Amino acid sequence: MVIDLRKCIGCMSCVVACKAEYGVPLGVWRTWVKVADKGRYPHTKRVFMPRLCNHCDYPICVRNCPTQATFKNEDGFVLQRYNRCIGCRTCVVACPYNARHLLPEARKGKNLPRLVVDKCTFCIHRVKKGLVPACVQACVGGARIFGDLNDPKSQVAKLVSKEQVSVLKPELGTSPSVYYIGGDWAIMDENHSYKFRSRQLVEEFNTFKKNHFGDAFADIVEGESTMYWVGKNMADFIASIPHKAAGVFNAFKKLIFG
Amino acid sequence: MDDSVIISNAFHHVAWGTPISIYFWLVGASAGSFVLSAFGWVFGIKRYKPLALSASILAIVMLLIVPVLLIWDLGKPLRFIYLMLPGYWHSTGPMAWGALLIMSYPVSMFIYVYFVVKNDQFWARFVGIIAIVLALSTHWYTGVVMELNPGRYINHTALAPLLFLTGAFISGIGLMIIVLWIQNFFVRPEKRIEWSLMEEMAQYMMYGIVFDIFLLYLDFMQTHYGTESEMLGHGEVLMGIFNFPYVWLETVIGLFIPLAILVSPLKRTRLGVYGASFLVAFGVYGMRIWWVMGGQYLQSFY
Repeated sequence: MVIDLRKCIGCMSCVVACKAEYGVPLGVWRTWVKVADKGRYPHTKRVFMPRLCNHCDYPICVRNCPTQATFKNEDGFVLQRYNRCIGCRTCVVACPYNARHLLPEARKGKNLPRLVVDKCTFCIHRVKKGLVPACVQACVGGARIFGDLNDPKSQVAKLVSKEQVSVLKPELGTSPSVYYIGGDWAIMDENHSYKFRSRQLVEEFNTFKKNHFGDAFADIVEGESTMYWVGKNMADFIASIPHKAAGVFNAFKKLIFG
Repeated sequence: MDDSVIISNAFHHVAWGTPISIYFWLVGASAGSFVLSAFGWVFGIKRYKPLALSASILAIVMLLIVPVLLIWDLGKPLRFIYLMLPGYWHSTGPMAWGALLIMSYPVSMFIYVYFVVKNDQFWARFVGIIAIVLALSTHWYTGVVMELNPGRYINHTALAPLLFLTGAFISGIGLMIIVLWIQNFFVRPEKRIEWSLMEEMAQYMMYGIVFDIFLLYLDFMQTHYGTESEMLGHGEVLMGIFNFPYVWLETVIGLFIPLAILVSPLKRTRLGVYGASFLVAFGVYGMRIWWVMGGQYLQSFY
């Protein structure tokens, strides 16, 4: 995939399309758009950067997964098998791009996957039918372009060969398959994202952590006592055990009594 | 450059948290205790034989808590069985190696304890050698499982397993001294562990502390003179949000204060040895906190 940042207007259509395509739950994202403000008044500019799984050629998540739940298929898509995933989150820790998340337990549909890791699939079900991924279809500015990089006649191959492109964290050797045109260092750099996060963003993140606990018992709320949150996480973890044990018990009951 | 600011982004949870950090601490203390247990039966230092059984039992008890933490921390607890099935096991995944080690280490310890109780020197030594390799490997793996994530700049260092093993050694000794102190209240006088032995263990602990400080210094050098990510991880995340576990709990309470006690005349007093042991045993947990969560925290804003 090629993302032409010169054409991105930050409308979030791609995020909405992805959420709608997969029913992505609240608090997790398969794709999202990062926003930064540059410059000093009156010379300011707002820049955007859509993010998603980079479907790396050398994916650390695939290498580190202990149960082969995640794999790279013959077409280069990095995919997830829910039925093999044990929810250990090794791949979430391994992914340098934050492209993976644990599906929350609270979901509406009875048969929807829960507490397993999920990620962008490049909409493989659409691509197999000759369609483009939902985010590409929904992009109003034509900023997202999808195609086969190995086909020299494809638009993506032409763009990658003609334009100045960049990838995220090239130094890690993952060889990402998502290329950016017109990437701005102010938004692409990880350290900059941490150092120059707005106060408002930090507060929003803190609120998010307090309201979306996640299922990893690991969040530390910035500005509050670290040890308090370490202790709280442990208390929450212990409190979750009876609930999970009931799930295990029900699974055994179902296995034995049908 | 400084005029730009990130105003909106997706929020990402840290993936491994408190249960994993406690697990790292428990496995370390277990491995450290087992090393002490092996002094007498494996390495032939006879005066350590009386504490072999207590040390092994402590190592086993701490390791028995581990499955509770690990299995219930999984999204799908029942699927832990996949880690043992050949069709699922993934040879390149560090966690897959760890699963084998965590299963085999307690088994070898149980067999070792059996031969210690039977007073069978040959087989206790034979199984003890295997068990000690497994004990060290189990804790080596906890360092490696986070080291092999190049995107986690704080954790991605070859020093990781050494830091973990040294922490294990000193926290294991510290915890063992505390346990032996408590044990001495409940056993007959002739069965009590001699004070001179505990003093000697405290001496080993002091060497371990010095080595741990050296490793921590090397790690500090790497991050301080390293890439921007490493500097940021150290300067803002560890010295900022994780300041208490990193600077206070691990470095000051867990290393420098015990070291000051153990190089002073206080090392000959019971209060000094027990106090230093207590501080080391629990100070090492500070390292487990910043190690597990600190490396992931930086990236949660990316």
